[in-house]
Amino acid sequence: MTPNDQVEVDRTPKSLLKQPRPGEMLIRGFLFICGAISIATTVGILYELGKESLLFFQDERVDFFEFITGTVWQPQGGAFGVWPLILGTLLISVIAMVVAVPIGLAAAIYLSEYASRRVRGFFKPVLEILVGIPTVVYGFFALTFMTPLLRSVLGSSVVGFFNVASAGVVVGILIVPLISSLAEDALSAVPDSLREGAYALGASKFEVSTRIVVPGALSGIAAGLVVAMSRAVGETMVVTLAAGAAPRNFTLGADSFFGYILNPFESAQAMTGYIAITASGDLAYNTIDYNSIFAIGLTLFFMTLGLNALSRRMVKRFREAYE
Amino acid sequence: MSLEAPPRPDQGLFPTDQEYDSLLGRRNRKAQFFKVFCLLMLTIAVVALATLLYTIVNDSFGLVAVVNQNDPDDVVASLGHDPETTTLNDLSYDELVGLLEANVSSGVGRRLERDQRFYEDRLVFESDEVWDEICSSNEPPAGCTRGPRNTADVFSLVQERVIVPDVIASYPLAQSIVNPEAFEQEVAAGFEAGRFGDYTADQASIEWRAWFNTTFLLAPASATPEIAGIRTAILGSVWLVVITVIFAVPVGVGAAIYLVEFAKPSRFNDFVQTNINNLAGVPSIIYGMLGLAILVRVLEPFTSGAIFTTGPAPSDNGRTVLSAGITLGLLTLPVVIISSQEALKAVPDSLRQAGLALGATRWQTVRSQILPVAMPGVLTGTILAVARAVGETAPLILVGAASFITADPTGPFSKFTALPIQIFQWTSFPQEEFRNIAAAASIALLILLLVLNAFAVILRNRYSRRIP
Amino acid sequence: MKSRTIRLLALLGAFALVLAACGGDGGDTTTSEAAAETTEAAPDTTEAAAETTTAEGGGETSDLGLPVVDPLDVDPAVDVLIAGSSTVFPLSTAVLSQWIDEGGPEYSIDSIGSGGGLERFCVEGASDIANASRAIEDDEIASCSETWGAEPIEIRVGSDALSLVISPGNYFAQELTLAEIATAFSTADAGGTWADVNPEFPAHPIQMFSPGADSGTFDYFNEIVFPEEYEAEEPSPILSSIAEIVGEDDNLTVQGVAEDGCTEGDLASTCAIGYFGYAYYQENSDVLQAVAVDGVAPSAETVDDNSYPISRPLFMYTAQAVIDAKPEVAQFVAYYLNNVNSLIGEVGYFPAPEADLQTAADNIAGAAGF
Repeated sequence: MTPNDQVEVDRTPKSLLKQPRPGEMLIRGFLFICGAISIATTVGILYELGKESLLFFQDERVDFFEFITGTVWQPQGGAFGVWPLILGTLLISVIAMVVAVPIGLAAAIYLSEYASRRVRGFFKPVLEILVGIPTVVYGFFALTFMTPLLRSVLGSSVVGFFNVASAGVVVGILIVPLISSLAEDALSAVPDSLREGAYALGASKFEVSTRIVVPGALSGIAAGLVVAMSRAVGETMVVTLAAGAAPRNFTLGADSFFGYILNPFESAQAMTGYIAITASGDLAYNTIDYNSIFAIGLTLFFMTLGLNALSRRMVKRFREAYE
Repeated sequence: MSLEAPPRPDQGLFPTDQEYDSLLGRRNRKAQFFKVFCLLMLTIAVVALATLLYTIVNDSFGLVAVVNQNDPDDVVASLGHDPETTTLNDLSYDELVGLLEANVSSGVGRRLERDQRFYEDRLVFESDEVWDEICSSNEPPAGCTRGPRNTADVFSLVQERVIVPDVIASYPLAQSIVNPEAFEQEVAAGFEAGRFGDYTADQASIEWRAWFNTTFLLAPASATPEIAGIRTAILGSVWLVVITVIFAVPVGVGAAIYLVEFAKPSRFNDFVQTNINNLAGVPSIIYGMLGLAILVRVLEPFTSGAIFTTGPAPSDNGRTVLSAGITLGLLTLPVVIISSQEALKAVPDSLRQAGLALGATRWQTVRSQILPVAMPGVLTGTILAVARAVGETAPLILVGAASFITADPTGPFSKFTALPIQIFQWTSFPQEEFRNIAAAASIALLILLLVLNAFAVILRNRYSRRIP
Repeated sequence: MKSRTIRLLALLGAFALVLAACGGDGGDTTTSEAAAETTEAAPDTTEAAAETTTAEGGGETSDLGLPVVDPLDVDPAVDVLIAGSSTVFPLSTAVLSQWIDEGGPEYSIDSIGSGGGLERFCVEGASDIANASRAIEDDEIASCSETWGAEPIEIRVGSDALSLVISPGNYFAQELTLAEIATAFSTADAGGTWADVNPEFPAHPIQMFSPGADSGTFDYFNEIVFPEEYEAEEPSPILSSIAEIVGEDDNLTVQGVAEDGCTEGDLASTCAIGYFGYAYYQENSDVLQAVAVDGVAPSAETVDDNSYPISRPLFMYTAQAVIDAKPEVAQFVAYYLNNVNSLIGEVGYFPAPEADLQTAADNIAGAAGF
């Protein structure tokens, strides 16, 4: 008598996956809703901006084609070309990134690779304080410290009272922690085994950092760069105070390209500055000037979208080179 | 057997000693240069921070020129004492109250008395009938039940309202320490230029003032910079941060977990990812407009608390701390999501596979294995989000933060103001003293930020460890 | 790990308790006394208004014919919302500070610009008083009539003189005519000098500072200095000139003009000119000079008799329906008008002409039934 061939035990495993787990479903639902909130936000923003922008574009004084191609922004004179404001935003953001990326990345590499744990634990939050300083203080810092500095170094005939360079450098300082903290997190997350393997092969710390760790942390570093660039484009108060309140109207061909259009030492109003000043100004509500801020906001939204798509493509290409 | 180096093939396979030295030297120099460069960049960042802090602190302390609207010696003399031997400190309680009675308007006096009496047995500003009437009403003022004031309190009242020190000029900290005489000259020149109105040069005295002090932290807002404080603003900022974190962190981490752990790669999820990256770049003022349109107007029953009570709503309209907190939460949500995503992605797959291999569900694995390892990154996102929420101005103004308010927020449905708004308001006033209190308020904001972030930083340091 | 988590959670809990405790003392009025509000807000006819206002004041009237309002007797359960111009903001804050100091309910003021304030008042109906540094416009009156059922009540509270300023080193431009000012602010070429403004002036390079086109100051300045362009609704010549456009913060103009480096004897040094509200000049009179426009310098007398050409009115707007629902609004406005002239000098503005102040008092008295 063998127990095995008499007892009819059904040994086919019941699929555990089919077992209903309501807790799990609930959690999944909740998490999905969290993700959906971001979509809802975008929908809300597009709806709100779009609705009011429509009012703006429907006005007979505004021509959509002129809006997207014009190089003069002067609502009082009926000129609604958006490029001067885009120019201001781009100039400030580029300068900010040029300042912030080397400082942020190098600081992150130092904290992650070279510094002891205590030093890292101290300096990382210290740098994060930079994000917390009120932007009004940054604006006045740009005006009372950065601009005089630039004027004394480069001469007050070269550098204007309001200039894009001061605003850009100060915004760059503001966004350094966004790069350094996120990059440092990513660099620290690279497993030590990779580093140790490289050291075992005789690589120097520099080679390990740049050729092993940074490529391994590329995704996180890219995220930091994206967040920083987005913040630079969206920064309001610093550019309002330090870059001036006059859009840099230009005419292609007539104005010197490097002497005027791309000159970082003259004033140029950014899109965010324009929105902030007009929204809090004394203009009557529902005038064309007021409604224009929604159109500018929409433009900014799509511009950030374009920049993000571009940076994703670049990061993908970069990553492919390394993996 | 000699101990000489074994014979080596001549050239080709291995570098010679000299070549080896020079190559290694070059690599070492490169490595050294890189290290110095990185350290230099870190130093630049820290120096920038130090410079910013210096500009803030420079305006928060320093010499001031003060003119007392009523000179203490004259006041003492008017009571019959000899100013040489008696000072304001030596006056009796009755004399001090008498001074208040003579110099303060009846409206202010009555209000002071209703806050707290001066004497147990008699009233100074109010008549007995009116006092009995208000004390027996439904809402008696605090003075009906509180004990009488003490000398120190009345003394400071006399200082504030009888002597009335008026700051007419201030000087930055650095110059006050290095070159205080220049300030005296500046003040003298100001008097000659007639800048100080009716005051004369002999009335002014130069003294040291710390604009950032405990009175400043505890006093409510005022139109006079000497007595204005930021209590209401601090409470408003704290409420805002609390609501922001309660909203943004769970939702952000939840979204990140969904996108990294549960969502299958698809065009839709790609779209969601791009969307989130994009939202990180939308300027804060647009979030303000969104908050105004949706939270303040459309969701007014919710944000004014009307649907939570059967009686009248706690707030007249949707311009409450709750609306502003959620708006800031939406503003900081993308950063929390992105940093949490990166933290989750950095967790090695081996942990996930181990969990699944043991039969745990996805969520169980995430909760007990993945999330703790990803905690530092999540906390970084939280810290950056809190910093952003504490420092924002433009969206708050749109969502209805008051620019001048003295009543403290008592709940999520209160009117409110925030520190950055006060700072922004004060920097645009023409009077120089407002810049000093704006700087002091900035110090308060930074301390608040440090306190709020300390918790997360400690947690982060505790959780962070290298993956072997 | 678990005990550590418990400890940290305890810390967090303690922090939350502190937060709750700190928030407790200030304004418990809103929730508990909101109940009282419903019973009192019900009778919204002018009878109730007459009841509460004149009785407690003891029947005293001020020089303007308004009752002397005692802030301590105003019902603290009713909240009054004030929003509007950032120019009127310092003045309203000064009055409100004194109101609160004398025991009045703690109202709040939002500084969102005249346009924003009138929009919140007229279109949204979400505020009780709108501050404005300009007169209300026709389409705003129309939306107010729709929202509140009648045209808004205009209350003149003061005047602001726009001061033109030059640096202390500027030795020639202390008196300018309106025409010269117009020329100065419309210099479109980079090589513009003061000699273009007036051939007798030395040929220092000129630099102008102006607030932005959205600002009420800019608007008013253009109305007076460039009247033809303003009437024809053409863009201001300032915008196409080489002026440095400042944005909202007039302190920047102060800095820019005061530090221009204008020196007698150095014809290459730039001499700047700018304009802003008188308060900014008053605060910085040691580093700036005020220009006399058409021979008239800004002062209390010249503003009062309108001989200074660039002074603009400051207003508050409210509505009959608001006062019917909240008599406290009328009480506050009465207090405001009774006390504004004693505070306005410190703030840096000028009292409104007596006749206008009386008209304002009559307006509010009529609406509230004083």
